[in-house]
Amino acid sequence: MKKAQPQQRDLFPGALEMMILRTLKRQPLHGYALVQHIKRTSNDLLQIEEGSLYPALQRLLKEDLVKAEWAVSSTNRRVRIYTLTPVGAKHLQREVSRFETMLEGITRVLARGES
Amino acid sequence: MNWFKLLFTRRRLYNDLSAEIQAHLDEKIEELVAAGMPRKEATAAAHREFGNMTLVENNSREVWRWPRVENMIEDIRYGLRVLRKSPGFTAVAVLTLALGIGANTAIFSVVNAVLFQPLPFRDPGRLMVVWHTPPQKSFPGVTKFVVSPANYLDWRDQNHVFEQMSALGFRKFNLTGMGQPESVEGRAVSAEFFSVLGVQPVLGRGFLEEEDQPGPGNAVVMSYDFWQTHFGSSKDVLGRQIKLDDKSYEVVGVAPAKFDFPFQAKLWVPLAWTEKQRAVRGNHGYIVIARLKPEIDMKKAQSEMETISARLAQQYPADDAGWGAAVLHLNQQMFQQVGPALLVLFGAVGFVLLIACTNVANLTLAKALGRRKEIAVRTALGASRGRILSLVLTETVLISVVGGALALLLAHFVIEAIANFIGPQLPLAVQIGLDGWVLGFTLAISILTGLIAGLAPSWHLTRTNLNESLKQGLGKTDADSSGGRARSVFVAAEVAVSLVLLIGAGLMIRTLYLLRNASSGMDARNVLTVTLGISSEKYAAVAQQNGFFNQVLEQVRALPAVEFASAVDSLPLQGGSIQPVAVEGQPVVPMADQPEVPVRLISPGYLRVMRIPLKQGRDITEADNAKTRPVILVSESFARRFWPNDNPIGKHVKLTFLPGEASEVVGVVGDVRLNGLSVTEPVQSVYHVMAQNPQTTFMRLAVRTGVPPASLISAVTEAIHRVDADEPVVGVQTMEAVVDESIAQNRLNMILLSAFAGLALLLASIGIYGVQAYAVRQRTREVGIRVAMGAQPAEVFRLIIGQGLRLATTGIVIGLAASFGLTRLMASQLYGLSATDPWTFIGVSIVLLTVALAACFIPARRATRIDPVVALRYE
Repeated sequence: MKKAQPQQRDLFPGALEMMILRTLKRQPLHGYALVQHIKRTSNDLLQIEEGSLYPALQRLLKEDLVKAEWAVSSTNRRVRIYTLTPVGAKHLQREVSRFETMLEGITRVLARGES
Repeated sequence: MNWFKLLFTRRRLYNDLSAEIQAHLDEKIEELVAAGMPRKEATAAAHREFGNMTLVENNSREVWRWPRVENMIEDIRYGLRVLRKSPGFTAVAVLTLALGIGANTAIFSVVNAVLFQPLPFRDPGRLMVVWHTPPQKSFPGVTKFVVSPANYLDWRDQNHVFEQMSALGFRKFNLTGMGQPESVEGRAVSAEFFSVLGVQPVLGRGFLEEEDQPGPGNAVVMSYDFWQTHFGSSKDVLGRQIKLDDKSYEVVGVAPAKFDFPFQAKLWVPLAWTEKQRAVRGNHGYIVIARLKPEIDMKKAQSEMETISARLAQQYPADDAGWGAAVLHLNQQMFQQVGPALLVLFGAVGFVLLIACTNVANLTLAKALGRRKEIAVRTALGASRGRILSLVLTETVLISVVGGALALLLAHFVIEAIANFIGPQLPLAVQIGLDGWVLGFTLAISILTGLIAGLAPSWHLTRTNLNESLKQGLGKTDADSSGGRARSVFVAAEVAVSLVLLIGAGLMIRTLYLLRNASSGMDARNVLTVTLGISSEKYAAVAQQNGFFNQVLEQVRALPAVEFASAVDSLPLQGGSIQPVAVEGQPVVPMADQPEVPVRLISPGYLRVMRIPLKQGRDITEADNAKTRPVILVSESFARRFWPNDNPIGKHVKLTFLPGEASEVVGVVGDVRLNGLSVTEPVQSVYHVMAQNPQTTFMRLAVRTGVPPASLISAVTEAIHRVDADEPVVGVQTMEAVVDESIAQNRLNMILLSAFAGLALLLASIGIYGVQAYAVRQRTREVGIRVAMGAQPAEVFRLIIGQGLRLATTGIVIGLAASFGLTRLMASQLYGLSATDPWTFIGVSIVLLTVALAACFIPARRATRIDPVVALRYE
């Protein structure tokens, strides 16, 4: 009765969500464009299985962090555009600062370990 | 988004999701095509990069759900669909479990009512029974004894550990003046009785201190039941007078419904001992109950009672030397007679359920193997092992829950029968039925059963090799071998468990047979018995009393078809008075040290009626009366014990409770089992003469007839009424019924255990048949090849039967080993044979082996008819 475990494609739980929110903060996008954008900006360092985006998007939708609307894209296809909500923006800020704190901690530990 | 809105918008959400994912893929494909990739390759690449589309969609959907609950509902829907599609399998599985669970529900409802429910008294944990512990010299092996009035009064007044103490005795009343004279079960109790138990009459009150005094003011409390039947639940019953044993009693209270403590009491009256009765120390006859003070524990109470007993023994050595006291929990005392038997039955139905469970596991496994392909497809599509597990478990749990519902229906009928049977053997009315506890129990074991039955099949399925399974139908057999092994283990286990049950039942059947045919020392055939009780008010003088009994005997003897009639105070097998005796040739000792033996009061002709052999000397006659010297008969074992080397005739025995001179032994008679058929120790007893007894108000009439005794009931009743029209005619029973009654408990145990064992045997043979039939189907190809290579039908037959035989033998060996250990637990309920009786063990094994072979027969026959041409084309 357990959900299938997400496989080893996130860096850590919540990373994908954070990247989605950050990307959407810049501009509203639809799913396919989101994937392309994340791949591009990470210089293809982050290989996302495209499908894994959708459960994450549904979670964000459910929490009201993003909203979605059907629209017609520049390439003239019917797509669902995701926009960051104010709640989502606040959430992103919190998550980013938490991530930075964590990263700093990890960096320090790693630095000490080397010296 | 709140969950409520979600419920209605979810479909749209799902549609959006599907459309979106499709759009994503389309866009990707277009892009790849635009980059120059052939469309077909582009589609494949897009899908590859996207991942498992179905799983993604499902995982995305799950975000919006309560996955646990909804998965379960989905599984249940699916399970129901699957079960509907295979009605044969479903019916067999449901019925199997219904029988198993039903048997458990029925027995649990009794166990629950009898052993688990608190007594309907206030704070029952503090209620104690205080027994005498008799001197072992006089009562070897007896650990609990009823209490004498004087000792009870001293206990009550001297202890500091009990809040209250109450004595109660058993009485039978002749109720007159309310239509037909009637004999009513009554209890004489001390004034504290109702308050010790903490039972409040629903109408009126319990007894007052001043009512527990001798005198004309008699009070009575009646049971709710009696109030309904005799007074139509009339509220103005209080203050009314009823006539018991020709004395008037004023109704002061009505007990709560269902209160009939102890043993189906209808009326309670105060003890109202006279000064003389209060002083009786050496004659024991009362049960003492008491409530512990809050701060006192049982150990403290026990030591205090021992101290008091030691003091009394010093003070009254003649009566009390060697008499101690034992404080025991009332609730433990209540059901200790039925407890062990119930637990054996509970264990037995547990085994039945285990077998039912195994059968269903077997069926499910067989079915599951046919579904490997479906499961493999699901796994390939991303279903996790947990989902597959839950899918199969849901199915078996569904079966068992439906089975459980059906079981309640079955149990409902069985419970009623058991309750009617067991009721009279309990000291307190208990509510045996389908209450909340029982329903909860049934639900719990239903779910548990389903889980257990589904465990093996689902474990098996989740371990299935994907590739092999997807190829199913392309020719195989190897992949099946492990499933076959699991089923073989199941069958062997079933055989083993049924063997244990059958041996248990076999031992009980043998016990009953031995008991029924045990030589009781008398001949119960063609004897009718009637209880005759007269009141000492109406028949005050001993001459009047004896006159009544003699007239009745005369009238009855004159009836046609009556061979002879006599009277005795307690019938054989039913226990009765035990008294101290002083025997000639034995050292003279105080009463407390005197041997205690059963003493029966008889009228002339008793030996003739009961066909008890006279071994030596003469029988008593009408010539032995109040004016002649007192005489007695003794039993053989009595004579052997006290005068091993002398002629017992002419020896003297003083019945200590009887005034006057010692009685002379005039005859020696055969030993009779006075205390029940299962009490095999020879009973050393004494018979003395009714005409020489100082007071007789209660006798059992025993009539030997030349025709079936029941046909004489009305003639005997009329004969009694010709002597006294107010005499209630009760306790009309054939002596054979008395014998049956004395083994009623054994009989009930035997019937139930045999029924459960029979059920187990049936289920096990279905299991063996199922597995063999399946195995034959599985081996069709192999058998076909064998036949094609020239194997004869007989060889094929042997092949299949041999396989079944091996399983059955393995099961029997394991079952025998288990039985050796387990039947010891029922040793206390066996009579005349050991718990490892070799004949039962061997006989039952043969029966089981035969049944197992029979179950293999049809599949084996079918195997011999396999046409090699068809078989080789099979699949």
